[in-house]
Amino acid sequence: MEDERSFSDICGGRLALQRRYYSPSCREFCLSCPRLSLRSLTAVTCAVWLAAYGLFTLCENSMILSAAIFITLLGLLGYLHFVKIDQETLLIIDSLGIQMTSSYASGKESTTFIEMGKVKDVVINEAIYMQKVIYYLCILLEDPVEPHGISQVVPVFQVSTEQLSKVFSPKKICYLSPFSAFLLLLRFSRNVNSSCQDYLRTPDSYF
Amino acid sequence: MAYRGGGGHGQPPSAVRSRVSPGSLSTCRTRTHNICMVSDFFYPNMGGVESHIYQLSQCLIERGHKVIIVTHAYGNRKGIRYLTNGLKVYYLPLKVMYNQSTATTLFHSLPLLRCIFVRERVTIIHSHSSFSAMAHDALFHAKTMGLQTVFTDHSLFGFADVSSVLTNKLLTVSLCDTNHIICVSYTSKENTVLRAALNPEIVSVIPNAVDPTDFTPDPFRRHDSIITIVVVSRLVYRKGTDLLSGIIPELCQKYPDLNFIIGGEGPKRIILEEVRERYQLHDRVRLLGALEHKDVRNVLVQGHIFLNTSLTEAFCMAIVEAASCGLQVVSTRVGGIPEVLPENLIILCEPSVKSLCEGLEKAISQLKSGALPAPENIHNVVKTFYTWRNVAERTEKVYDRVAGEAVLPMDKRLDRLISHCGPVTGCIFALLAVFNFLFLLFLRWMTPDSLIDVAIDATGPKGAWTHQYPYSKKGGENNEMSKPR
Amino acid sequence: MVLKAFFPTCCASADSGLLVGRWVPEQSSAVVLAVVHFPFIPLQVKELLAQVHQAGRVELAVLGTWCHRRQGAEESLGHFLEGLGTIFSHEPWLQLCREPGSKLWSCKATRRQVPPRRGAPYEDQVMLVFYDQRKVLLSQLHPPAALPDRQAGDAAPSAGGLAAVFDTVARSEALFRSDRFDDGPVRLSHWQSEGVEASILVELAKRASGPVCVLLTCLLSLVSAASACRLFKLWPLSLVWSKLSVCEQLRHRLEQLTLIFSTQKAENPTQLMRKANVLVSVLLDVALGLALLSWLRGKDRIGPLAEALVPVADHVAEELQHLLQWLMGAPAGLKMNRALDQVLGRFFLYHLHLWISYIHLMSPFIERILWHVGLSACLGLTVALSILSDIIALLTFHIYCFYVYGARLYCLKICGLSSLWRLFRGKKWNVLRQRVDSCSYDLDQLFIGTLLFTILVFLLPTTALYYLVFTLLRLLVVAVQGLMHLLVDLINSLPLYSLGLRLCRPYRLAAGVKFRVLEHEAGRPLRLLMQINPLPYGRVVHTYRLPSYGCHPTHSWGSLCRKLFFGELIYPWRQRGDKQD
Repeated sequence: MEDERSFSDICGGRLALQRRYYSPSCREFCLSCPRLSLRSLTAVTCAVWLAAYGLFTLCENSMILSAAIFITLLGLLGYLHFVKIDQETLLIIDSLGIQMTSSYASGKESTTFIEMGKVKDVVINEAIYMQKVIYYLCILLEDPVEPHGISQVVPVFQVSTEQLSKVFSPKKICYLSPFSAFLLLLRFSRNVNSSCQDYLRTPDSYF
Repeated sequence: MAYRGGGGHGQPPSAVRSRVSPGSLSTCRTRTHNICMVSDFFYPNMGGVESHIYQLSQCLIERGHKVIIVTHAYGNRKGIRYLTNGLKVYYLPLKVMYNQSTATTLFHSLPLLRCIFVRERVTIIHSHSSFSAMAHDALFHAKTMGLQTVFTDHSLFGFADVSSVLTNKLLTVSLCDTNHIICVSYTSKENTVLRAALNPEIVSVIPNAVDPTDFTPDPFRRHDSIITIVVVSRLVYRKGTDLLSGIIPELCQKYPDLNFIIGGEGPKRIILEEVRERYQLHDRVRLLGALEHKDVRNVLVQGHIFLNTSLTEAFCMAIVEAASCGLQVVSTRVGGIPEVLPENLIILCEPSVKSLCEGLEKAISQLKSGALPAPENIHNVVKTFYTWRNVAERTEKVYDRVAGEAVLPMDKRLDRLISHCGPVTGCIFALLAVFNFLFLLFLRWMTPDSLIDVAIDATGPKGAWTHQYPYSKKGGENNEMSKPR
Repeated sequence: MVLKAFFPTCCASADSGLLVGRWVPEQSSAVVLAVVHFPFIPLQVKELLAQVHQAGRVELAVLGTWCHRRQGAEESLGHFLEGLGTIFSHEPWLQLCREPGSKLWSCKATRRQVPPRRGAPYEDQVMLVFYDQRKVLLSQLHPPAALPDRQAGDAAPSAGGLAAVFDTVARSEALFRSDRFDDGPVRLSHWQSEGVEASILVELAKRASGPVCVLLTCLLSLVSAASACRLFKLWPLSLVWSKLSVCEQLRHRLEQLTLIFSTQKAENPTQLMRKANVLVSVLLDVALGLALLSWLRGKDRIGPLAEALVPVADHVAEELQHLLQWLMGAPAGLKMNRALDQVLGRFFLYHLHLWISYIHLMSPFIERILWHVGLSACLGLTVALSILSDIIALLTFHIYCFYVYGARLYCLKICGLSSLWRLFRGKKWNVLRQRVDSCSYDLDQLFIGTLLFTILVFLLPTTALYYLVFTLLRLLVVAVQGLMHLLVDLINSLPLYSLGLRLCRPYRLAAGVKFRVLEHEAGRPLRLLMQINPLPYGRVVHTYRLPSYGCHPTHSWGSLCRKLFFGELIYPWRQRGDKQD
């Protein structure tokens, strides 16, 4: 079983969300961004080279041109290998765990598997990111030492953060059914303290 | 705090509404507002402005409005936090410059503030405190974005020294096209109108309030063999710590059964310590250091007399709190203090050591003769004076009025700035306003409003945060599942 | 809960038989370890399991049956397999079956004792997870799960989750010991090693390693005893030892060698890894040192080097002389206090003069010293580098002296100024309470204080300039030394063996696992492939970094700048990394 929907990311780019149901206990959510377009690649390369040529005419040093070539190549390699993520996959296997895979444009894949026993909760959180305020999905890991503590917060779909308001309406929330967004709200009601003087212990303190 | 009780008992919203000033405005409360409180000062910082913002927000939430608070990050406390009743607080990562106030460039906070205003669908910006650069920034941006603006001034200013002249000029610019201004006392209103050259019509007076249930008397906590004078304030110049250091040795020599308890922290603490050492008063003057708000009551009830030595004060909440605890209040006659309490509850003096000593001696003699009313009686009188619900009702009326007004369009705003603020300043700020508008257009082009997520409304009695969503029951076709734990 | 059956990939093509493994009830997972083939005697199977239990303290059981249908396999086998469930009772009883199509598997798990709903045995949902037995056996999970207490006799490992699977496989090593040429009473199918290599050399080395280790340990203990001799602990010597980085490096090396040749057996994999890392890093160090030595000796490069060294030192001294003369005039157009300037300049010039004559006195011996120093490279590159750093420190001793004089003067002035500034404001420093008190001064005191303050303020620029110039020179030297120490630290602490292991055998160091969903058909159990997720290089370095003796920077950049501003001395040998952190 497979179906596909498209969303937009926080910058307005298009994202495709694919869902695959292998079995009742195993589902996969796959979020893919558009690939690197030839147009933008050409534009950036031309810009760098033109700038280098401009400098070259000024200083008459051919080192600049070769340096520009190296910079473009290294930059492209670095971008493809460390920055540009083509696809992010979330595989949920019941009673086993959650596996997150991000595949970079260069083919590199980085995988993290989190056992179900370590997952404390999955919430949608709000954070200030650069000059924006965004929603993001994250997995809270249990602290092995302290039963109520949270040892780590693992963001899911980190680069291509979905525009969650589109998923947020109660009808569509079942897309990420195990990750019910309202857990977040439940959490508030559970932990909120009655008085403002206790603000230090309010639920917020995940971070 | 106390208002949670009301919300928690599940009072129907209509009941709340019917209680709104039964005489005048009982029927016209039909709309709710999305209010954004902006100030540099909020918890975990402690003070009058902070608790004002918090209490007012809670009461407004109780009345069905949506309220969010925007402030800057305090140390590790940054990002988005929720307080009681789903009150959402944005702690923005802006650099603090001086005295917990952020640095202002008029521009750098625009992207974040715009994002917040848009995603929370804010209609009214309510800024607090003229010391807060962020509040002024927010007013400026809100006007650029065409939102209604309200400003609350919590402090008094002089007119003479350089810093006041500069601040007053800034205030003139900031308030000249603000829709409405709220002051905490009539003195403060006069002061603000004069400083910012405002039309008095658009300035309202809404006093501060205290929560009387938090400040109840407890006569058994105090020792009746000795007389205890309590001082609770920040130990800074404005609060008259230098006067206090003059009073202490004089009175302590005169009355051997007199003790001082001083709560608060600040740069002037060293003076008090020196006085204590010079006159060997270690057993009679207790310096408690910084107090948390919840500890203030426990300190207050240990004393008989409350002393306030402020040199300038718009509305002194400390004396109301002290009176609510049943203490006799001795205070300087400055700013809005004479308006706060009736004559029989307060002894007013001139801000000088001599006059304050006389006032204190009068209070001591009254105490010794037993002429003072019982703490319970004082509490019962005071608790009716200032309540946050009343403040919230009155503020709500301001919001209703402001919501009906039109926001000045750009050209009129520029005219107003140039005509109102003097040729040089006016032109400069008109230019800045134009730049700000261009910056806003650029931001709108970069991330259109439609791309910004709408935040879910978690506030209020009907807010999402009180709903208990059973998370296995909803949704549900083929992908329904319960959490595996 | 879904039942998970972990099945080794190497058994996928085995003949039909019994599944042997461990049942983890907390996670309802069955870890299959081996397949027992027909024909077998049930008693012998049980004996074998008991043996393995004895060896690894892991509770093995017969979990179910395995049926590999080939073309033309008789039908009656199915009934027979079901019947086996009565002999080896286990809850739940697994029935794995592979169809001839090779890609289709079926799996059933039946429970007998659970109250049956409609008479029929209750069936669980099953999920098949394939794993590579060899890799799982050899890999080491990071971070290591809570170590199961082997002495306690408690068979159930405390580790939870997937760590339990890893643990089970690792503990039942006894089961895999029999290789394919062995002919035991029970025929098993599981991952088998290719047989132990038996070469004479390896055997000899193994035999010899014990005595060699003992011998070397004795030698090392002799050396360390000699170094601990009281003669070396006398006052001036101990000071010198603590300041020379060579001594530090040698001591560190001695510790490392002691660790390598210690006859104690490494208790856990971490210690073993550490030993290997130390060994590799020492070997590499010595190899690099020998390379350096051969390069130095090869074309007799020491002579020219020594000849070049004296002129360089001379040249540095000359440059310093020029600098001082420049400072004694009007440096950069600044107007300084002439008298103080002259006094300071002459003082430093005289000092420099002394230094130059000292260098000239030394020059005939330098070549011989260098020759001996070059020999030390055979102890390792790090030792040679440390010696080089010490030589630099000795050759720039005059800069250090200048810096100390300048800093002392400057510090004195700053202290004086700050206390006089307090006097100005009617305050004083209360030493007892560590705070600033207000204080009323006499007129005389105020007058004298103001006078002194003025004098100090006007003399400050001259001192500050000298201080600034010499501090910059000093910082340059410290930076060069720091760079060398950084290199030494790098060689000392890089876990080369672990990195090599990560490069060549990625599965040995596991950060966790990852799963791949195999082809799936409706109605059949889900099949997953469990693979080992190797540890990232960054974490390998972080986990296995060897402890190095280098002191970590004791203060941050901010406090360093503060110290520089207030004229406090900074010592390179106390916080050596601090220019390059």
